[in-house]
Amino acid sequence: MQIKLNKEIDSRISAESSSASAKESVKELERAMQRSSENSEREKKALQKELSYMKDDSKLSISKLNAELERMSLRAQNSEKEAKMLNEQLEDLKKQLNECLREKNETELRLLDSAPLSVQRNPTDDQKLIKLLQEELRNYEKEVHEARRLKSSHTNVELLSEKLLEEQSRRKRAETELSKLQEIEAKAQKLELELASCTSLLGNIPDVSSYSNIADLQRQALTDLNKLGEVTSRLKELEVTLEFAEISKQRAEGEATLAKERAESASREVKRLELLLTAVSEERDRLRKDHNMLSNQKTRDGDDMSSKKMESDLSQMEKVVRELETTLHEQRELISQQHAELNLMNEKLSIEARKAKSLEREGDQLRSQVALLESKLGHGDYSASSTKVLRMVNTLAMDSEAKQTIEALQAELKKTKERLQAIEELKGQADAGTVVDANVAEKLAQLKNQVATLEKREERYKAVFLERISVFRKACCSLFGYQIVMNDEQQPNGIHVTRFTLQSVYAQTDDEKLEFLYESGSTNIVVNGYTSQHEIAQQVDIFIRKMNSIPAFTANLTMESFNKRSIC
Amino acid sequence: MERVRAKFWQWGLIRGVWCGCSILYNRGVYPEESFGKVKKYGLPMLLTQDKAVKTFLTNLTSQLSEWLEGGKLQRIVLVIMSKATGEVLERWNFNIITDGEVVEKGAVKEKSDKEIMREIQAIMRQVNSCISFLPCLDEPCIFDVLAYTDSDTTVPFTWMESDAKLIENPQMVKLHSFDTKIHKVDTLVSYKVDDLDEQ
Repeated sequence: MQIKLNKEIDSRISAESSSASAKESVKELERAMQRSSENSEREKKALQKELSYMKDDSKLSISKLNAELERMSLRAQNSEKEAKMLNEQLEDLKKQLNECLREKNETELRLLDSAPLSVQRNPTDDQKLIKLLQEELRNYEKEVHEARRLKSSHTNVELLSEKLLEEQSRRKRAETELSKLQEIEAKAQKLELELASCTSLLGNIPDVSSYSNIADLQRQALTDLNKLGEVTSRLKELEVTLEFAEISKQRAEGEATLAKERAESASREVKRLELLLTAVSEERDRLRKDHNMLSNQKTRDGDDMSSKKMESDLSQMEKVVRELETTLHEQRELISQQHAELNLMNEKLSIEARKAKSLEREGDQLRSQVALLESKLGHGDYSASSTKVLRMVNTLAMDSEAKQTIEALQAELKKTKERLQAIEELKGQADAGTVVDANVAEKLAQLKNQVATLEKREERYKAVFLERISVFRKACCSLFGYQIVMNDEQQPNGIHVTRFTLQSVYAQTDDEKLEFLYESGSTNIVVNGYTSQHEIAQQVDIFIRKMNSIPAFTANLTMESFNKRSIC
Repeated sequence: MERVRAKFWQWGLIRGVWCGCSILYNRGVYPEESFGKVKKYGLPMLLTQDKAVKTFLTNLTSQLSEWLEGGKLQRIVLVIMSKATGEVLERWNFNIITDGEVVEKGAVKEKSDKEIMREIQAIMRQVNSCISFLPCLDEPCIFDVLAYTDSDTTVPFTWMESDAKLIENPQMVKLHSFDTKIHKVDTLVSYKVDDLDEQ
């Protein structure tokens, strides 16, 4: 039995320890749950704040992107227009060059055909000059073509390099985002495992009541994560649009640089054309001189017609050259105007950029003001100078209150009507009001007389009673030898008692008094200082307590007091 | 022209009555049995059958439509208050921005009935969805309607000036605004935060 007891005690102790440990574990789990819930709440709040910040940032970035896109599109359009203009000018210049070259060739042929004699004299020098000029022209043209090809290849190379850089940057960003995604996924898996472990622990513990809260927190966390994911996706979209905007910006800048380079090349070509023109004009002058020489020789030889033809051809050449010079001058002016316009556009762009920034700031301020106003509107604020708040006088509450008061008043009306009816009935029962009043007065007078007579009688009775009672007392005193004083008392228990105080006629002192209490037919002696004396106490014992006779006691006491008096 | 304008103002009045009834029904200001299902214009609607509420709403909406036509109405607020204490528990705020061209010049901007029906359905859905986050009204409540008008508006004898019946430190939720090409209405509900929610 003892062993069993010990075993049971041990088992109980182990059970208690296990329960204590379980309780402790439960408490720890509850604390952990609280911490996790607090953490989740904090995370939720932080996520919500981040969401709000992200939303605001996304809105701002969207607005900025839209403005930048518009700017870039305008720039691109302007650069395209400029490029078109420059291309047209280049084409015109090329056409003019080709025409000049053709005319030169024609004039050369004419010169060759028309002046055989002059060629005979100095054929080799002129031919050499022409050939040299032609070769130079061809070389220049080749150089121009090669330069253009080099430029186009260079621009292509630049574009390709830019594209390569963009793609490399995209790859890097994608890789970083992928790594971040992997990290986030790992964190999410860890959190899910922790949550699953906590939920399993809570499921095992029966008394834990916050399981549903965890599920709600999980759902809220999932929804917040989904929102985060959506926001991140939007951010990525915005980043993509930003990249596209940057690419378009870079393309526009490249096109602008190309257009500038083309303008520069056009100006260089113009300069070269000028140089060619000067060379052509110099050659013309030389040819003129030669022609003059030839013409002088012809006049010597007598051939005027051919010289006239040569002169007309030369005049036409001069006209063409002048036209070319005027076109060159106009193109120079156009180019200078375009440069000035470009500078103006750049200044306008900078001014507009500043305006856009100031507008963005104003927009942010306005948004904050709008938020404040919306909060005020929602709160119900208004300006008394421009707005009045009105409501109907007879609202439903007022109507219900009015109905209640009306019902209460109607109930009071009914009560008062009932009272009036009762009063009228009472009045109807009585014959006349004046007769009732007279009887009442007579009765009152009679009653008053009766009261007076009764009072008189009472006084007489009192007086008579006092006389009689005094006579009775005197008689009792003279007959029985005791002066009796009667007083009514009320004991603490509430019972009314009559106290009789007897003093013998033969008493030698005023202290020799006997006191008796009379209650409902029974008379009892009261112990006082006189009755507690030895002699009196013996008599009280003998006559009252043993013989139960107060008269014998009082008689014996009077005899003794008489004997004492007579002896003294 | 006049028919179209009359039709539009009629739609506005109807929209206002239906919106108010749906709020009263969903918030439990009046018992469910006091509302009757009525099919009008192809839509099943819950309208109050209480005579006192009906007369109150008809008198109210007639005056509001008059102010709407004159472009004097800035805002309509439906206030839900505690019957015992008179404390304001909810404010349904409908902010109205009127197109001045319609009011001053009488321009007509037509809208098809289908579009109007869709708008009404959208409004009802918004009001019904608010039940999910608004606190429960456990005590008996009454409602009142406030009209924010221009300061130069003449006050009819059945109306009087009132305070704005504001809520201290309210929680506010903005609903989707809708546009009728003549009026743009921004809806916002502000409510007193429940003590349990604060804890």
